[in-house]
Amino acid sequence: MGYFEGFAVTLKKWGEGVTTKEYRAGKLDSKGEISPKDQKAPKPERAHGRHVLNRYEDGMEKCIGCELCAGVCPAKCIYVRGADNQPEDPTSPGERFGFVYEINYLRCIHCDLCVEACPTQAITETKLFEFSFTNREDAIYTKAELLVDNDGLPQHLPWEDWRPGEDEFTSGWMRATASSGKVQYENTVGWSGELGYGVRAPEMGQRHPGESPPDADTDQSGATSGEDQGSHH
Amino acid sequence: MPLSRPGLRPNSVTATNANETEAGIPFILNGKALLANSGEMLIDACERNGVHIPRFCYHPRMRPVGMCRMCLVEVDTGRGAGLQPSCMLTVSPEMVVNTESTETKQAQEGVLELTLINHPLDCPVCDKGGECPLQDNAYAYGPGESRFVEEKRHFEKPISISSLVQLDRERCILCDRCTRFADEVAGDPLIHFIDRGSQTQVNTFPDHPFSSYFSGNTVQICPVGALTASPYRFKARPWDLAETESTATVDSTGARIVLQSSQDRLVRVLGVDSDAVNWSWLSDKERFLHEATDSNDRLTEPLVRSADGLTPARWTHACELVGDALNVTASQIGVIGGSRLPLEGQYAWAKLLRGELGISNVDAQLGDGLPGEVMLGLPRATIAQACAPAGVVLILGADPKEELPSLYLRLRHAASQDGTKIIELTPRATGLSPNAAISAHPLPGQVGVVAAAIADGKLDAEVGGVAPGQLGAIAELLGSGAPVTVIVGRGNLAESASFTVDAIAALQRAVPEARFLSGLRRGNVHGALELGFAPGLAFGGGLSEDPGLDTAGILRAAANGEIETLLLLAADPLADFPNSELAADALKNVATVVAVDTFLTASTQQANVVLPAAMTGEVDGAFLNLEGRLSPLRAKVSAPGQARPDWMIAVEVSQSVGTPLDFGSIDDVRAGLAADVSVFGSLNWDLLGASGDGPLLEFNRTWEPQFGEPVVAPLPDGYGLRLIVDRKLWDLGTMVQQSESLRDLPEVAAVHLCRQDLEGLGVSEGDDVLVEWSNGSQSLQVRREVGLPRGVARIPFRLPGFNVGDLLSSEDLVAEIRVTVT
Ligand code: SF4
Ligand code: SF4
Ligand code: SF4
Ligand code: FES
Repeated sequence: MGYFEGFAVTLKKWGEGVTTKEYRAGKLDSKGEISPKDQKAPKPERAHGRHVLNRYEDGMEKCIGCELCAGVCPAKCIYVRGADNQPEDPTSPGERFGFVYEINYLRCIHCDLCVEACPTQAITETKLFEFSFTNREDAIYTKAELLVDNDGLPQHLPWEDWRPGEDEFTSGWMRATASSGKVQYENTVGWSGELGYGVRAPEMGQRHPGESPPDADTDQSGATSGEDQGSHH
Repeated sequence: MPLSRPGLRPNSVTATNANETEAGIPFILNGKALLANSGEMLIDACERNGVHIPRFCYHPRMRPVGMCRMCLVEVDTGRGAGLQPSCMLTVSPEMVVNTESTETKQAQEGVLELTLINHPLDCPVCDKGGECPLQDNAYAYGPGESRFVEEKRHFEKPISISSLVQLDRERCILCDRCTRFADEVAGDPLIHFIDRGSQTQVNTFPDHPFSSYFSGNTVQICPVGALTASPYRFKARPWDLAETESTATVDSTGARIVLQSSQDRLVRVLGVDSDAVNWSWLSDKERFLHEATDSNDRLTEPLVRSADGLTPARWTHACELVGDALNVTASQIGVIGGSRLPLEGQYAWAKLLRGELGISNVDAQLGDGLPGEVMLGLPRATIAQACAPAGVVLILGADPKEELPSLYLRLRHAASQDGTKIIELTPRATGLSPNAAISAHPLPGQVGVVAAAIADGKLDAEVGGVAPGQLGAIAELLGSGAPVTVIVGRGNLAESASFTVDAIAALQRAVPEARFLSGLRRGNVHGALELGFAPGLAFGGGLSEDPGLDTAGILRAAANGEIETLLLLAADPLADFPNSELAADALKNVATVVAVDTFLTASTQQANVVLPAAMTGEVDGAFLNLEGRLSPLRAKVSAPGQARPDWMIAVEVSQSVGTPLDFGSIDDVRAGLAADVSVFGSLNWDLLGASGDGPLLEFNRTWEPQFGEPVVAPLPDGYGLRLIVDRKLWDLGTMVQQSESLRDLPEVAAVHLCRQDLEGLGVSEGDDVLVEWSNGSQSLQVRREVGLPRGVARIPFRLPGFNVGDLLSSEDLVAEIRVTVT
């Protein structure tokens, strides 16, 4: 393309009118209130938004600082460092906890691979993606920002657009496949309970561990309890 | 298990019989006719022919034990096919081996299922996860399913078996590697299997921590995450490590290592299986000293003394001051140090100081070494020659376990397994004494006389504390016709180096064909000597026509006000020179002290200008080890702040001196080195390539060391004790103190005496006694030491509690103290 052809393209597009559609959320009216017409569009059930770091029902953090999420992340936007738990006052069950945890939302592509990699379901994604930051620092969510609060709910950060009641729908329940990838697990809930929500209800034909399968022919051996999942042995 | 696992180079499986392949032993592997070397283990023969057999317990550098059964393969030796552990089987003629049969596969699956029965699901929190042979084998050879649903065996999660190593017994698969290493290789059998059946566990003996100098090796060879190193624990995961092969500069052995970093910080060092040098083993000092690189106390900007003490300055300003300080008569300048520097840094400084400025008061050793013109002139031996089976090794001087630990492991192996005979002519019992054929301990100041008696065949009377029987036995071994290697170091800082030099002369007389392996311990001291960092050597090679002063001489001249400028190239004479008073006087009376260093040491704090240098792991370069092998140093992380490679500092300084060095890159420096220094003239620098141990230099000296008349030590006065001052692996050295995990390892200074002397004083171990010398005294704990001669006291150098450098004087030939009960 020569030097002037480029301008020609620009000029041509100039006359075509605006094709960008207004995003239907977050628009305030003249009084500074959200206009009733400006409702957020309903999000697909498995929309991928920003992450949360979950806690167990007793308040302990689920993250063990294993760095598997960081290792799998194709955008290399997760930074994790582990450290020893204080035996008298542990942050998470076991020896190790996530000491530093950061996700850079200027890079994250919300592929959810971290969620799949996580052996403890510590990291999950909410449906929240409506945020606009004005500096890099805000874009890098720290562990303090990602961690759910004492009620197990995500924290509302100043630059995030939340509507009343939305926190109810922000829990990070989002799984693409069974935790071990095993066929047998597809029908059994293989996840641990989390603060604020308990053990998630089975979905789409799944059932709680221990419940007898609707179809008694299916061989469910090997899928016994939540603790066993994730095993390669 | 992939072969690229750090620490194990392919093709280094065993060195033995490497050239016998021609006339090998025929055997059949998976239907293919192949040849094995004689005596080769089946597992190695298969590996060499491209068939990997999974294993846990087999380690090519240790005796096979057949503990884990992972290596079972179907073997037919004429009596029908059966499963046999391939690590325990030497290949025999016409053996038929099948590693792919259903039986072999079933055995592998069975062994793995059994191994995993009690193995916890710790992978996400396990330091081994991602580089774990158990994970790898379970994926590659395991059944994929477990039938085990019961509760697993439980032990208390990691217990510290030493301050550096943690043991998680739940993860242990009882392969016997760590325990075998401790017993067979390190000679510190402090960990063992205890209990029986499913409770079998590795553990220490009650109240005896696994405090071996070599404990870190067990972490490297543990095939699971049962043993983890506290300094690395949870620091990183294998997949975020970047690595490069380099050389340990901690001591002059030059052990081959892999540097691993994460987020631009060095987090782990592993040993590389280098056949020539360290056989994959490292001492804990070589393994964990990298912590200092990351210390917050690193010097990051030039400092210049002002009214407020040392204050940050710009490089140009600091270098101008150094240039001014060097613009005085050459004889008024003293240069101490240089053995920390890579060869390129040493050359750039030597070119400037010796070549351009004509300074001859240059010494890389701090009164704890031996004259360079003697050491370089001796016929040299390599480590492999010294450790050759059935040879004779005479240790003259220091304890290799304390000063050159990687070399110690090679010597220990040679003595305990290859029939090498070790003769000790050391001030006291060393780490090798249990394996030595003869342990003779001449009294301080007598080693030259003892060696002369052996050379002259005067074997009938006791000499210098050595009994006639021992003299005879030494003479007999030296004359047995077996090749003799003498390892020469400085075993006693409280006696003059001239006694050791006399002993060298006598031993050369006794065994003219003997070869010598230098035991000078400081990092790259051999590079420094080649480049003329010794008063008796000339820049460019050869002897100096007009020898300058050594460190003691420089400090004495400085104390007398005859030195204008003192340049410290990573040297800390205040703490490291065995005569603290003289060093303090010297630093006080010098007009300008310039220090190039990595930390603010006792001496750099007194400097007028301090230039921050980059250290090992941050710079590319070369390292010359004690056998004359040139190994690569590689940069893995960036230097902190404005710290620079030493050669760049020399170039910068040369510009302010007005004799600019024309080096723009490390290749320029190497070209200059090849042009100026004959030893490096014909060197092919490509040999320092990605892997391999680097070339052995050929020295072709045209001169021989000149020995003067033997020095005679004054006789003991009968009241005092002759003093031995030697070094411990863990001391108050700057690098050890800057490494968080190592800082507390040095023991507290004590005076060591033999049992008879303790009884004579009427004290027992742990009591306090008063140590007196000509102008001072100090209360110290007393310890009993086996293998210390009578009438001799030992106080190790640079330990917390007492600086024994306070009582030493470099004028004295020997030192004496009195010990009295308080
Ligand atoms: S979020 Fe999950 S995968 Fe990531 S470090 Fe924590 S425990 Fe590991
Ligand atoms: S030793 Fe290996 S298999 Fe065992 S928990 Fe650690 S990483 Fe997993
Ligand atoms: S601790 Fe590791 S090296 Fe030692 S026996 Fe157990 S598995 Fe083997
Ligand atoms: S490797 Fe052969 S039995 Fe362990």
